[in-house]
Amino acid sequence: MSVASRSAAPPRLPPGLAGLLLPVGAVLAAFAVGAVAIMALGVPLGEALTAFWRGAFGNAYAISASINRAVALALVGTGFVFAARAGLTNVGGEGQIAVGGVAATAICLAPGIADLPLGLAFLVPLLGATLAGGVWGALAGFLKVRVGTNEVISTLLLSFIAVWLLYWSVQSEALLRQPMTSSATLPESLPIPVTTQVPLLTGSYSSPVTLGLPLLVVIAAVTALVLSRSIFGFQLKAVGLNPVAAARAGIAVGASIVTALFLAGAMGGLAGGLMLQGEQYSLKAGFSSGYGFDGLVVGLLARNSIAGVIAGALLFGFLRSGGISMEMGASVPSALIDVLQGLIVVTIAGAAYYVDRGDRK
Amino acid sequence: MDGSGIVTETVVPVPGTRAAAPSLLTMNGIGKSFGSFVALAGIDIDFAGGEVHCLLGENGAGKSTLCNLVFGIHRPSEGAMRLKGEAYAPSGPSDALARGIAMVHQHFSLVNELTVIDNLLMGGSRGRLDRKAEARRIEALAEEFGLALAPFATVGDLSVGERQRVEIVKCLMRRPQVLILDEPTAVLLPDEIGSLLTVCRQVADSGCAVVMVTHKLAEIERVADRVTVLHRGRVSARSDRPAEEIPALVSAMIQRPAARSGEAVVGAIALAKRKPAGPRPPAGEAMQLDGVSFDDRTGVRRLDAVTLSIERGEIVGVAGVEGNGQSELGAILAGLARPTDGRWFAGGRDLTQASPREITRSGVGIVPEDRHAVGSIGKLSLADNLFLNRMRQFSRLGLIDRRRQMEKARDYIQRFDVRAAGATVAFGSLSGGNQQKAVLARELTTPNLRFLLAAQPTRGLDIGAIETVYGLIRDAAEEGVGVLLVSSELDELIAVADRIVVFYRGRIAGEYPADPVHREAIGTLMSGRSA
Repeated sequence: MSVASRSAAPPRLPPGLAGLLLPVGAVLAAFAVGAVAIMALGVPLGEALTAFWRGAFGNAYAISASINRAVALALVGTGFVFAARAGLTNVGGEGQIAVGGVAATAICLAPGIADLPLGLAFLVPLLGATLAGGVWGALAGFLKVRVGTNEVISTLLLSFIAVWLLYWSVQSEALLRQPMTSSATLPESLPIPVTTQVPLLTGSYSSPVTLGLPLLVVIAAVTALVLSRSIFGFQLKAVGLNPVAAARAGIAVGASIVTALFLAGAMGGLAGGLMLQGEQYSLKAGFSSGYGFDGLVVGLLARNSIAGVIAGALLFGFLRSGGISMEMGASVPSALIDVLQGLIVVTIAGAAYYVDRGDRK
Repeated sequence: MDGSGIVTETVVPVPGTRAAAPSLLTMNGIGKSFGSFVALAGIDIDFAGGEVHCLLGENGAGKSTLCNLVFGIHRPSEGAMRLKGEAYAPSGPSDALARGIAMVHQHFSLVNELTVIDNLLMGGSRGRLDRKAEARRIEALAEEFGLALAPFATVGDLSVGERQRVEIVKCLMRRPQVLILDEPTAVLLPDEIGSLLTVCRQVADSGCAVVMVTHKLAEIERVADRVTVLHRGRVSARSDRPAEEIPALVSAMIQRPAARSGEAVVGAIALAKRKPAGPRPPAGEAMQLDGVSFDDRTGVRRLDAVTLSIERGEIVGVAGVEGNGQSELGAILAGLARPTDGRWFAGGRDLTQASPREITRSGVGIVPEDRHAVGSIGKLSLADNLFLNRMRQFSRLGLIDRRRQMEKARDYIQRFDVRAAGATVAFGSLSGGNQQKAVLARELTTPNLRFLLAAQPTRGLDIGAIETVYGLIRDAAEEGVGVLLVSSELDELIAVADRIVVFYRGRIAGEYPADPVHREAIGTLMSGRSA
């Protein structure tokens, strides 16, 4: 019983192709708007693009910095997808990065850590950062399960708490601030010992891609497998789709929620640890500067696909690096990158809405 | 869809078409597809002013879809509608309402905390609100159609029948040309059904076209001027004299000869009731409720000291109008709520404080009254839903062995006659009957099953599926499972159960053997009068 479709429905792209064309189209559209904005600012387009290229891909250092940035964003994004599978929206990446950074700094500077053998000197602080971020995320999960606090609110507010904890810890000598030898001593921690730094893949500071990259690849692969194939991933999905039916089926709904947010937070914490031990080497007040929120956007755009997270993280990683360079080299405000990111988000979310609606009708 | 593939369109011949009033609303060649699923195809139908037009059909036949097209909730994939000769393509319900089409849904859209009058005025009033004047206006309107209404009562205090009246008045206030009622009698007491049908008649007599979805033949006999039968998304029969053609309508609805016509369901079930002289089921107690009480969040007592014991192999029916504690009892037995007082046991184990998982492990199967919200996850596959609570059996190093799961799923699908395009289709895309068979498949295969709660297991199911469902429940009882069967269909309970307890306001108001001679007494107890 086939019914010939004579309706006026618009031609529909195959889902796979639509899933690819959508983000690419959105990015290209955003770039076009960006180009117009640059010209409107009176900056020669060529000059701006040259600066952008230099910052993003200009040399081994630029590329490495972009990749390190992308690794952090991808970790936060992967965590976001994990929580999203259980129907949770983790917007607390910024705070989870912050507590990760604080924990990593504290452990790196703790006596005896720098002398640990077998790479434990940098692994132990990384693990500490991961756990700290995990606890920060699990806190929101616990609040949700116990008193029903919406995790969007609690993860965001916990972020503010974490960022101010970080400020406090670099302002107070009793915590992590370096000893004040003069009034010019900056409010930041001591640099961490070299042995606690995350090793660079090339061994050279001129191309500082860290061990974080292979670590991310492993984590992303494991996450993709767990989400698609494991019992645990199945349970998270059930909880996310219908918590009541999941509870009736004997799935521990509360524990699943806490675990999902723990894992999301742990990946944020790990990102914080990598940023500190692989890049910044000392804790400063402006430690994270929006990585958490960029990572959140990456997770949102990926629409539950780990591959999408990686692609989005690379895009935003290089965009940010290029944007900073554009500001320095061609005096285009780097806020332009925020505008472009915003445009990409709105375009993809909007287009996705229409694609989904088309599927339902 | 099911695999039989044979769709015979037996259109009841219509000798001498009655000269009806001119058509208000006509549908020509209407089709509606959801993805690859064809819900309606080639529908030609017209609704005339002054008639009560019943849409008859099994579940999944497309009745609700058709109503939703008329009311603008969905748009047709093909074909066109005309209202009084003008093209009619509503962009949404508000557009439909503006054009004079009103609909009473199965689920009411009333605010329980507000009064009747406030519910009625909601959204429709502007500027100064003169409740008294509006109340007089509405009372006059209600009186015209014989709808008793207390404008200043709070909706939450009203019975289901009264709430439905509010919904109907809400529609009538707009003076609709077409009034659609989607299975309006499903929630009503026998008395209330009678007065609803009277209202339908009166509304039709006022010149309105009344479209009523039903699968109760007695109602068609009483009120329908015309009947259109849908079967698998197509018109399979039409009748201008439905009262005289009931057997033909039934066979058009279920597409097989109706040997027992209107009594088909009850008859089929009753046959299954005779116990074969097979081996006796294992003796012993299956489940026991010991003074179970439950207070809801607002402190209202929903269950009051319910004590009941069920033997293995026994089917105990719970009769009662919905909302008399059955849902709360279901939630407690499912492990989703804790009794305020009292204890309950299955197989001698105290499960009062047990988690859903422990309850399942104790050999308790639960077919919840709301299979969408509690019994299944619509967006997961059929195979996932079949093993929702026992996925671990397929675990290999923490990963799901999909091959083994699919094998076992196909086995269940065959054994329990679940008709689906495959094990991987989304559960939500199955028809209600097949969803219920899948839920039963899962619960009846609970290891060491000794007690089964089946709450409203046939709600929204067609005759064929009802037979299958009760056959499965019967089989389980014969194998020694004690069954608590909650249903609002008294005839089904009488046909299937061994004895019947009547719930009224959270108490067991009485108990009778499941025999048709007690039908009236049980009905009296259900309505709260003492027998």
